Amino acid sequence: MIEQSRGPPLPAPPYHARMAAATPARSPAATHSYTEADIASVRLMVGLEVHVELATRTKMFSRSPNVAHKEFDGAEPNTLIDPVVLGLPGALPVMNKAAVEMSMMVGMALGCSIAPFTRWDRKSYYYPDLPKNYQISQYQLPLCFDGSVEMPVPAGGGGGGASAPDLPRRIGIIRAHLEEDAGKLLHEAPGVMGGGGGGRPIDFSLVDLNRAGTPLLEIVTQPDFSSADDVVLFAQHLRNICRFLGATEGVMQKGHMRFEPNINTIITLSDGRLAKTPIIEIKNLNSFKALRGAIEFELADQPRRWLADGREMGAGTKFTRGWDDQAMRTMIQREKEDAHDYRYFPEPDLLPVTVDDTWREEVRARIPELPSSRLARYRHDFNLGHKEAAALVDERDVCFFYERCVAEAQALGVDYPRAGKQAANMVLQSGAKRANERAVLASELGITPAQIAAIIKLREDDTLTSTSADELFGLLCEPGQSGIDAAQLATTRGMMTVRDEGALEKWVDQAIAENAKVADDVRSGKVAAAGRLVGVVMKLSGGTADAKVVREKVLAKLGQPIR
Amino acid sequence: MILAAARSDKERAAFVCSPADGPQLRFGDMHPPLPTVTELRDAISHKRMSAVEATREALDRATAINPRLNIFLELFPDRAIEQARAVDRAIAGGQPAGPLGGVPIALKDNMCLGSPALDYGKTTCGSKILAEYRSPYTCTAAARLMEAGAVIIGKCNMDEFAMGSSGEHSAFGPTRNPWDPERVPGGSSSGSAAAVAAGIVPASLGSDTGGSIRQPAGLCNIVGMKPTYGRVSRYGLVAFASSLDQIGPFTRTVADCAAMLNVLCGHDPHDSTSAQRPPEDFGAELERGVEGLTIGVPRQAKSEANHPSVAGAVERAVKVYEGLGARAVEVDLPHTPHGIAAYYIINPAEASSNLARFDGIRYGHRAKLAPREDLEDLYSKSRAEGFGREVQRRIMLGTHVLSSGYYDAYYTTALKVRRKIKGDYDAAFEQGCHALLMPSSPTPAFKIGEKMNDPLAMYLEDVYTVGVNLAGLPGIVIPGGFGTVDGRELPVGMQLVGPAFDESRLLRIARMLERETGFGARMAVG
Repeated sequence: MIEQSRGPPLPAPPYHARMAAATPARSPAATHSYTEADIASVRLMVGLEVHVELATRTKMFSRSPNVAHKEFDGAEPNTLIDPVVLGLPGALPVMNKAAVEMSMMVGMALGCSIAPFTRWDRKSYYYPDLPKNYQISQYQLPLCFDGSVEMPVPAGGGGGGASAPDLPRRIGIIRAHLEEDAGKLLHEAPGVMGGGGGGRPIDFSLVDLNRAGTPLLEIVTQPDFSSADDVVLFAQHLRNICRFLGATEGVMQKGHMRFEPNINTIITLSDGRLAKTPIIEIKNLNSFKALRGAIEFELADQPRRWLADGREMGAGTKFTRGWDDQAMRTMIQREKEDAHDYRYFPEPDLLPVTVDDTWREEVRARIPELPSSRLARYRHDFNLGHKEAAALVDERDVCFFYERCVAEAQALGVDYPRAGKQAANMVLQSGAKRANERAVLASELGITPAQIAAIIKLREDDTLTSTSADELFGLLCEPGQSGIDAAQLATTRGMMTVRDEGALEKWVDQAIAENAKVADDVRSGKVAAAGRLVGVVMKLSGGTADAKVVREKVLAKLGQPIR
Repeated sequence: MILAAARSDKERAAFVCSPADGPQLRFGDMHPPLPTVTELRDAISHKRMSAVEATREALDRATAINPRLNIFLELFPDRAIEQARAVDRAIAGGQPAGPLGGVPIALKDNMCLGSPALDYGKTTCGSKILAEYRSPYTCTAAARLMEAGAVIIGKCNMDEFAMGSSGEHSAFGPTRNPWDPERVPGGSSSGSAAAVAAGIVPASLGSDTGGSIRQPAGLCNIVGMKPTYGRVSRYGLVAFASSLDQIGPFTRTVADCAAMLNVLCGHDPHDSTSAQRPPEDFGAELERGVEGLTIGVPRQAKSEANHPSVAGAVERAVKVYEGLGARAVEVDLPHTPHGIAAYYIINPAEASSNLARFDGIRYGHRAKLAPREDLEDLYSKSRAEGFGREVQRRIMLGTHVLSSGYYDAYYTTALKVRRKIKGDYDAAFEQGCHALLMPSSPTPAFKIGEKMNDPLAMYLEDVYTVGVNLAGLPGIVIPGGFGTVDGRELPVGMQLVGPAFDESRLLRIARMLERETGFGARMAVG
């Protein structure tokens, strides 16, 4: 359509190839009148479009603050605006370089090539949330193209994908291009400050243009998914990568990431014939639950619809459906499909973007270590299991918190592998347990990396038992404890391991005296019973005794060899 | 008011008595020459005259002349006098008045003027759809003028959204040519050209997308320049065809044109397409002469369609240059015949997109809806009621040429032609031409109503100007002489086109023709 002068080979628009290859729609189902019993198997095929709101300080083409940046989150409606955002007469867009660099980073993390020459196009359509009535986007020359991502092995193992979970699977990335987001329309009365009064029906619509002009990265995958699980796993992985890169806050409830799966099924019939159902695009899903639900619904419903109407994939048979979060089903949207002619043409108000090697490599050098690489490092350096390592990289904030704990512990003299291992234990056990209870992240409990490092150090010095360590961790999570010295608190609370031989002797003697039957069992060779006596001693000591030392003492007293 | 007039002997001669082969003076010959930008600025800064006096005089003339010629859509007397007082105060306080200190200037009404605090009236673009629109911000070009001390006295009439070559497509009635009120002043910068030609202001700003500064300058016997694309920020200029639009000045002399460019040009962070160039003094070499330079005369400029006075003006200019020691050569711009076609695809395509924002939702005219009418009705009714015929014609053309199935045949082809046309100009400059000489339009001013029902005839007014916009080059028009039409003496313009960013030399070449012919000294005032 648009003449291509320079740059990389033109990536096909999503599904173009699939559509073109398909035979025109016909209705064999109707003519042959198949029934459910004739369906031998159904294979799912999904490609994903993901819209990521970038967390730059300012908007894509103006200096107005960006609502997707955490500092401007929740701004009053229509306060993050200027002549450019409002599309006032005479206003001109100016490209935000930071947004381009962020997109390059995401593209590189997804294994994409970065276009040496790219430009902006106008996409025309009328809608009240689109101030200029065209969106500045990238049509023919996307900034990033031709990548692939290795599917992560889920933390829980398995994963339920159609392919074997242990084999790495690659998802092709067709392209990732930048554009500007639209504003928001409200069709019911908004709540007054602090809620209240919202939801009242109104006979007009309201427009909030705070989101208009937010940089939006649209990532389009190949139709490489064959299960809803895979799609969700990929989507979560993608969110995680983007968050590690600092490219988005990735708060799903705020629409920082929106998904549009393109779904169809390939039906194998008992007579050997294959039928491909039309591609259905589900618009604007903003939760993983909705993403999974929509795909699962379509997988079940498309063969039913095919049996009923016989419609198959072919040119001009792509449909759009919406998702009903309550009913958990997709439905036809009231939209004129064929009315869309976006009349793309090159944006004359912006210069093309030339990415030379220097710029590209300079941006590449700023890419932080990605979750997959961190996972491998944790397994190798800290001897963590896959599950533990995966849990640590699952959430950016927790991961960064964990790494600060490791660094602080190293600073206290704990050697690197031990620091990594112990910090993992702290974060994944003492931390995760409490985080679950409070429904926050392990990094948000109030305890600081320095305090965790101090606990690790006490453990490494054998001056704190694991029980006390966990208790101390809990104490430091209480409000107002962030400035407290962990070692001091352990001392004042009497948590330090008791090394006083006299006291230990006394507790051991007491335990034996009060549990004569158990002591006899141990004397007669039932060494396992010693554990109960150790437990009694630990109780008597208030958890401050070192269980290993106590066990040795008990066994010695009862004339048993120490093993 | 007696001012030191820095005019050449020939210019004086042209004013005092007509050259033998020149026209019989009929208009303005009894009027002393009005001061130029530089004369006014010097008089004000040396306190021979106050900025307030200069501003009052401009406002008075505007008020007196406007009922007859419909030049101004709005005047801001209070704001202008206030601005002039500030200039006078600065001068009284010993501060520099700025390169345009106290000079009254008018703007085409497609340039945004205003701030949340200061009301500078409306920015209508000559359209009903923006009839009540007030801009909350000021365009960069006007801001630069004001920073240089200029006093903005008002906003000028224009063809709606700058679409037109006669000024007749304004929703607020046509502007009349000061040389003959029955005739058009040209367009689309009709009011801006007439304001200078009628002696109201010594300078004004227009915008030029396909000739909208140069054609009216020629029809009004003044100097008008479209700088190289990217020289002047387009921020705050209501966009018509973004890849072609460029703001430029109307003045009565080439020196004033240079003085205006000195203020207007420069990079603007609000406009990505504005050029990053080292600062220049465009007036520094004006009097250096043209000896040894080569002036190309395109074969295509000698069209049969040219009025004899236009053809004669070209021949006269060639003789002048040869007399000054320059070499005149014929050059070929073979793709010129396709220029109008390509222009009238690219221009409506961009316009259809740029004008999409005028939908009645956020600002501008909003239609009243009948019960059961919906959003689409709101869009289509608001636009149908708000836009005039020519604007609707271009929106439809542009929408069509960009629609799928037609894009390649029209838009892609037009872009190829555009590259070819640029190639023609580049080749001429590579052959050694320092400037190309051609008319600004084929005929002197035509009568109001003459071409209103023939859009193609109107579009052909731009035959000598659109190529320059398509190629992004600087073009200047200066008074080229006079011709007789229906017994009336009417001015014709002479256009000079230079390589990109070569304004300094182009101005110098234009200045030599001005100095030798002096046609610009005649004014349509009386």
